[in-house]
Amino acid sequence: MATASSCMASTKFSIPSWIRGSRISTKQGRINSFPSVPFSVSAQQQQQPPSQVEEPRQFNPPPPLEVGGGSTQQPQKKELRPVESQVNVRSRNMSREYGGQWLSSATRHVRIYAAYIDPVTSEFDQTQTDKLTIILDPTNEFLWTPDTCNKVYAYFQELVDHYEGAPLTEYTLRLIGSDVEHYIRKLLYDGEIKYNMNARVLNFSMGKPRILFNNNNNNISEEDQIQ
Amino acid sequence: MQGRLSAWLVKHGLVHRSLGFDYQGIETLQIKPEDWHSIAVILYVYGYNYLRSQCAYDVAPGGLLASVYHLTRIEYGVDQPEEVCIKVFAPRNNPRIPSVFWVWKSADFQERESYDMLGISYANHPRLKRILMPESWIGWPLRKDYIAPNFYEIQDAH
Repeated sequence: MATASSCMASTKFSIPSWIRGSRISTKQGRINSFPSVPFSVSAQQQQQPPSQVEEPRQFNPPPPLEVGGGSTQQPQKKELRPVESQVNVRSRNMSREYGGQWLSSATRHVRIYAAYIDPVTSEFDQTQTDKLTIILDPTNEFLWTPDTCNKVYAYFQELVDHYEGAPLTEYTLRLIGSDVEHYIRKLLYDGEIKYNMNARVLNFSMGKPRILFNNNNNNISEEDQIQ
Repeated sequence: MQGRLSAWLVKHGLVHRSLGFDYQGIETLQIKPEDWHSIAVILYVYGYNYLRSQCAYDVAPGGLLASVYHLTRIEYGVDQPEEVCIKVFAPRNNPRIPSVFWVWKSADFQERESYDMLGISYANHPRLKRILMPESWIGWPLRKDYIAPNFYEIQDAH
């Protein structure tokens, strides 16, 4: 979004240089109950060998992969182009004279900020508006595995690339965030992620758990059903 | 059927069209957008000193947009004040209607809301910008041809 040429509505923040190249990057996922770890993707169409996805997560114990159903229609995955992690990030442009707020789209499972957020210290650098940061499921409503996380990140990257050239406004972020939410719901209905039954708030915000939802082939086993 | 105000306007050579009376017997007039500012001033001078409500609506799919003004003449010692309802229609591809903010100051937020919901741009309004929707919103939500984006759970938490 922060990008090329098209004349963009200026946002409330002083955005020094977001009109030059098209670069969006995204990072940071908060996964399961592990500390939020940097997950960064950049929208640059260059460099960064695709294989090196800049290890976002340190899934200490890789959570048990609970793949549900047998549905294996793989969406062609975008390779992630993470933002390289930075050192000495300071919170910037957070004060009142910059409006005291930030450009974001906040829904329950997806928070997108037009800023760099340091994964460890949570410093919030709003001057880096060429990056988008996604925080996935901060309330831990779902059980995430690295695989499903990466699917969401890949989808996010795809959307960010898709919206390249759009003005960097809340509206665009909301479009992206909503699409990611819909994607998460699809993952849930396809049985790829599950509700976290130990979540602090258990209100099944994406629909009550059920068996045989979106299950085209009837090869469910016992574990696939909701515990 | 002609109401008092309509007759008065005719007498002074002011262009309008009578739309009859509403269910409370209040006279309804249609006025062209280009005449509206001068007629508003005239009505204010005539004595309509109170803009009771301003609203707008989309008349029909693909049709006109309407901006509606309810005016009242407030005086001392009157228990049945004179009222009139003015409708101004504007084409939807370029809806421009002169603002009555400088005549009745209470039109301020209401015209902003009409702008926000239907995209009627009120000429000469001092700060015409969205008032209900976020400023970066695209589209006019109350138009009949508006398609709501497929947003998931809008909320203002950050």
